[in-house]
Amino acid sequence: MTELATGRIDVRTMSVVFGSGDDEVVAVNDVDLNVQPGEFVSLIGPSGCGKSTLLSIVAGFMTPSSGEAWLDDKMITKPGAERGVVFQQYSLFPWLTVRKNVEFGLKMAGVAASKRNITARELLDLAGLLAFEHHYPDQLSGGMKQRIGIIRALATSPRVLLMDEPFGALDTQTRVVMQEILTNIWQQFRISVLFVTHDIEESIFLSDRIYVMTARPGRIKAEIKVPLPRPRTPEMTETPEFVGLVRKLKGLIREESLAAMGPEIKTRGLTGFGMEVGPKGVGQIF
Amino acid sequence: MMGGVVNQPQLKSRLALVDDDDPQAPPTFKSSSQARGAPAETDATSSQAKPPMPVKQKPLLRRVSRDQWLSAVLAVASITLLFAVWYLGTKYRIEFYIRFKNVPTPYEVFRQALEMGASTKFVTNIINSVRRILAGFAIAILIGVPLGLVIGRYRHVRSFFMPVVEILRPIPAIAWVPMSIMLWPSNEASIVYITFIGAFFPILLNTIHGVHSLDGVLIRAGRCLGASEPRLFLYVILPGALPHIFTGLAVGMGVAWVSLIAAEMISGQFGVGYFTWEAYSLVDYPAIVLGMITIGVLGLACSGLIRLIGKLLMPWLAFAPGSKK
Repeated sequence: MTELATGRIDVRTMSVVFGSGDDEVVAVNDVDLNVQPGEFVSLIGPSGCGKSTLLSIVAGFMTPSSGEAWLDDKMITKPGAERGVVFQQYSLFPWLTVRKNVEFGLKMAGVAASKRNITARELLDLAGLLAFEHHYPDQLSGGMKQRIGIIRALATSPRVLLMDEPFGALDTQTRVVMQEILTNIWQQFRISVLFVTHDIEESIFLSDRIYVMTARPGRIKAEIKVPLPRPRTPEMTETPEFVGLVRKLKGLIREESLAAMGPEIKTRGLTGFGMEVGPKGVGQIF
Repeated sequence: MMGGVVNQPQLKSRLALVDDDDPQAPPTFKSSSQARGAPAETDATSSQAKPPMPVKQKPLLRRVSRDQWLSAVLAVASITLLFAVWYLGTKYRIEFYIRFKNVPTPYEVFRQALEMGASTKFVTNIINSVRRILAGFAIAILIGVPLGLVIGRYRHVRSFFMPVVEILRPIPAIAWVPMSIMLWPSNEASIVYITFIGAFFPILLNTIHGVHSLDGVLIRAGRCLGASEPRLFLYVILPGALPHIFTGLAVGMGVAWVSLIAAEMISGQFGVGYFTWEAYSLVDYPAIVLGMITIGVLGLACSGLIRLIGKLLMPWLAFAPGSKK
């Protein structure tokens, strides 16, 4: 595929506030971020840091309290087929067969049935799921459903792909395999991706660039480039560069995770709970 | 696989990252080097199609057919018991608070059925009742389903319609009979109206419920795949609510028959309800029972038809979680 010149996401001075008065909660605070055409960017941070909220705004499901999100030269106000979305929950339509699910976006775009059929079968073949085209989603495993979710989002040739912890519901082994499948798919499509996750290894393995968010109110704490070469392979995760990046990100996120656990831990510290400060002590909290 | 190799520092930092709001997320106890190494062997095959899931195996089939055989036996037994009670009660003219004195025997009813079955009058009665049911039920679907979809989707439409619905719903269809006779120009129209009222509320309320219980992520998925609002209704909300709509149709069909028979008994000309009531007036006891049985069979046929259509329209439900007992 040729390099895409479009597919640039711009989030500018964005804040999101939920509720009002005493119940006011600042979920996202003055965030700037961008995804360049063809770039794979991850957004990582502790639970409740507003990363999924940010993605919802770029997807067009929510409007920010202030600031703007742009796709190329158009401000984002509502959902659209030029932004493909992959959700954490399984979101295939249970009443449609696998192939009809993949065809759905094309049907909405008014593509003729015969052409839809060809595109859907090509994509299913790419994902290794052509044998299941007439199955219903409830007949498939979680990993298969998410693979179909990804190619369904790609079927309409969107300019960007937005992924909200797409592998969050999968078991560890399936998850690792899915990451490799995704990096291979991305290698073929070279589409801009904004990927939300809380998994450090996942974000490094997949991304060109990683934004680390702070605990609520979510701000951008750091922006880290991943200099690993493409295409990515599982062996790379053992290289010193990879391990070094993991260590760096763990350090950044650990502070935020502790902060996210509430003011108790912040003020009293871990010793306040009768534990030694140290790796073992943190483990005991759970 | 990880149990023995987890070391504490990694466990700590992994756990610190696990989202609290996500019970589904498996705790990922892995060290970066080893977790990715382990499943690597399976990667080559993972993108290939896995063998299709086992569809139906022999032992399962055999068990299902044994279950079916047993339930067939039980079905025959329960119907036989019903006839036995009826037969013995009428044969010995039992009077034990309940009086079987005037109740016709099964044989008398059977003879009546043979006699009547051929008569055009009886067939006309059946045709009239079925036609009224179909008309009232069809109108209830045509109004109830679209209205239910819109009420379920839009809060303001709901706020507008629900007060009226809540006031009218508790009024039984039978209580509409006098008003209906006043409202509608013909007897026929008023009976169809009463049948409609019976079917309408179960269909409406189940449709609303179906829209509400639709997973929001499916609507979001539809929207970001480019579905406009009308298409969202047609391709996402309607099929998503369809299982609940069919529950409403099944319940609505039952209530429609109750309402129809009552209406026919009070104000009808022709119809199975009218037939049954007329038999009582003419002291034709076997005909009463024949009428009752006819109503039962017609009701059964109608709900069976709805179940059949439901199965044909919603093949995916056979695979839905929890569908296999």
